[in-house]
Amino acid sequence: MTAQETPRSPKTTYSWQREVEAALIEGDPKTLRQRVDAAEAALFLRSQALAGSALTHPEQQAISAAVRTLRTIQRDKLGYPRLSNLE
Amino acid sequence: MRKKRVLIVDDNFAVRSMVRQVFELEPDFEISGEAENGRDAIQKAENLKPDLVILDLSMPVMSGLDAAPRLKQLLPGVRIILFTVEESNELDRLARAGGINAVVAKREAASKLVPQAHALLASIDQADGADALRSAS
Repeated sequence: MTAQETPRSPKTTYSWQREVEAALIEGDPKTLRQRVDAAEAALFLRSQALAGSALTHPEQQAISAAVRTLRTIQRDKLGYPRLSNLE
Repeated sequence: MRKKRVLIVDDNFAVRSMVRQVFELEPDFEISGEAENGRDAIQKAENLKPDLVILDLSMPVMSGLDAAPRLKQLLPGVRIILFTVEESNELDRLARAGGINAVVAKREAASKLVPQAHALLASIDQADGADALRSAS
């Protein structure tokens, strides 16, 4: 098992977590879109590296949760349309 | 055989850039344009007439699921790949109902996006060949 595959303790962070947290705490609406885009890009890049792993991989699950969080921000704060049948 | 035109639709510049790089390595494809949301995609598709649209799901103004049926109405022969982080059977069902030809998870971009594009566009070539035969007979 590599370091990337090792289950994380609650105190450890993933490489993309800083960008997601920056989006979460951003208060300026003008900067928020940039923060969300940067977080999405970081998640996207990391998910490429995890492509061979199962969806049940701990980091993959954390990425899915982060994506859901970003979706909520996009919908509630950036005015993205609802994905009516999926939400 | 002419190169197939690809329209990339995603609100995230980094994702569009990566998809562009992937397709630029493929001799059978050319990037005809990029769009930032579903409405932008419809406007650009009218002029660019792409063979293939790589379509994000969640975007501002108009989502991929809302844009897909309108793209199909505008360009009935266009192939659409929904390129998304979401993965579910319900999404697959909604995508098919909206005229989307395939769903590729963003996490599988490197291994599945181009092969899926080739598979879909092979069906265009088969249809073109059949049309040519009908015209000749």
